[in-house]
Amino acid sequence: MSKRPFERSVRQLRFRETRHLLLTTLPGAFWIVLFLVLPSLYLVSMAFLTNGTYGQPSLPLTFDAFRQLAGFGFLGWSPGNLYTLLRSLWQTVVATALVVVIAYPIAYYITLCRQSLRPIMLLLVVVPSWTNQVIRAFGWMNLLAPDTPLSNLAQSLGLIAPHMGLFPSSFAVTLGLIYNFLPFMVLPLYAAFEKLDTTLVEAARDLYASPLKAFWVAVFPQTLPGLLAGIVLVAVPAFGMYVVPELLGGGRSLMIGNLVASQFAGGSNWPYGAAASLLMLVATLLGIFLLRRLGRRAGGGEEVVI
Amino acid sequence: MTSPSLKRSLACLWWVLMAFLYLPLAVVVLFSFNSINSSALFESFSLRWYERLWGNEQIMASLGHSLVLAIISSVTAVVIGTLMGYGLYRHRARRLGWLIVLIYLPIVMPDIVFGISNMTFFVRISSLTGWLSPGLGTMVLSHVTFQIPFVALIVYSRFVGLDATLFDAAKDLYASPFDRARHFIVPSIKPALVSAFFLSFTLSIDDFVISFFTAGPESSTLPIYIWGAIRKGVTPEINAIASLMIAAVAVAAVISLAFTRSKGSDASR
Repeated sequence: MSKRPFERSVRQLRFRETRHLLLTTLPGAFWIVLFLVLPSLYLVSMAFLTNGTYGQPSLPLTFDAFRQLAGFGFLGWSPGNLYTLLRSLWQTVVATALVVVIAYPIAYYITLCRQSLRPIMLLLVVVPSWTNQVIRAFGWMNLLAPDTPLSNLAQSLGLIAPHMGLFPSSFAVTLGLIYNFLPFMVLPLYAAFEKLDTTLVEAARDLYASPLKAFWVAVFPQTLPGLLAGIVLVAVPAFGMYVVPELLGGGRSLMIGNLVASQFAGGSNWPYGAAASLLMLVATLLGIFLLRRLGRRAGGGEEVVI
Repeated sequence: MTSPSLKRSLACLWWVLMAFLYLPLAVVVLFSFNSINSSALFESFSLRWYERLWGNEQIMASLGHSLVLAIISSVTAVVIGTLMGYGLYRHRARRLGWLIVLIYLPIVMPDIVFGISNMTFFVRISSLTGWLSPGLGTMVLSHVTFQIPFVALIVYSRFVGLDATLFDAAKDLYASPFDRARHFIVPSIKPALVSAFFLSFTLSIDDFVISFFTAGPESSTLPIYIWGAIRKGVTPEINAIASLMIAAVAVAAVISLAFTRSKGSDASR
């Protein structure tokens, strides 16, 4: 029995639609697969190889790189890598927390200002992040170097030893991270504050809630989606930061991104570096996954950007 | 609702933040006019570092590389990303989960892992086949990879903002898909194409980490040159070239402000 013409034309249409989908999205998808997915798989697979004599990965397949990452070397176990990992987490948490504390009042203040001023104020917050991150770190290096006003002030307060600068230090790294990522918290929080239902705040104040209590019950839940979006935008890239610890940390405050890089540049132990990259990838994806779940539970829905 | 004293202390905080945000940049600009090679002591005003810039062939070559890289990669990414954004819009009723994951991958991937995976991959391919040896070519490939998602998302959101019935009208009006693209689709998403190009351009110029790992010996960009000079500690002209880059950002900021003013839309990118 032959197909009815109607059915044939439906199938033809479906075929043409699929062809259209493939023609439009395949070039981009293919590009990302070829130049990001395949290289990443290659890198990840390298983590299971042995470090060859000349620093090149070679067979057989082992877990040596992961043992090394966990701190087992020729001389037994050492906590160095564990410290690096913990330092990365710690720096990320501290910088993100401080960014939240600074961004909340700033985002709120922008909504208090005249409508015509707000775009300019947002731009003023964002513009420094348009300059290259190497230049931004360089600016801080100059500001915090020994014998500069800020370093001298810290010395006279007894915060640092004489003739030392505020840089290089882990303090400088935290400062650099805050500087880099503050705008990414202000923007989503501002968007949340702009839509804030202020009648709830007034109701809380009418019921004699303290300012803190009013913030907690009336403001915080309403801005939570913006906050979570901000945390994704700040914490995820901060964890993988390379430039700031490298320039402002001065060798003693390295983060996991620097550990990865050093194995491919000077250290030349590619499997070891690949294992550290794999750890970074897993941590990043896990972080995004957890924040997304938290965002869903908080009822953020679409506003949690990633 | 907000008491005047609270507002006053918030205003104070705002100005402290402005100082925090602009002081590091101001220091760079200030010391670019220093007559001696010091970033702690300002002696007197001079333009000598700017004069030395023009004579520095390495800096001029890196500037050229940065611009060529940004322009070629942005144009490529706008073409590929626009097609993708259109495909995402036309077929948004279908389940495109795998495609969404693929688009977000370059955005969430840590820069350092992105750069190193590309480097090892390109090194491997070039040792096997002789193609893709590290240089401007491989940098273009990597930059396009991280630009495509931003272009696709900008174009997609522009399409969503359009009236869907317009597409049916265009279908009745123009028979061939090519005519439809030329007379309807491209003109109606022109603003999105312009901002996608400029965002791609900025992303490329701003990028350091991915460029650093995919660059060859002869293809260092301006940020890579500055990085090298800082690490080696020989930095007299760095303040000057960095100030010029800060000036470029300031000009871009003014243009974008004028743009948002004239359109009256919000300033968030």
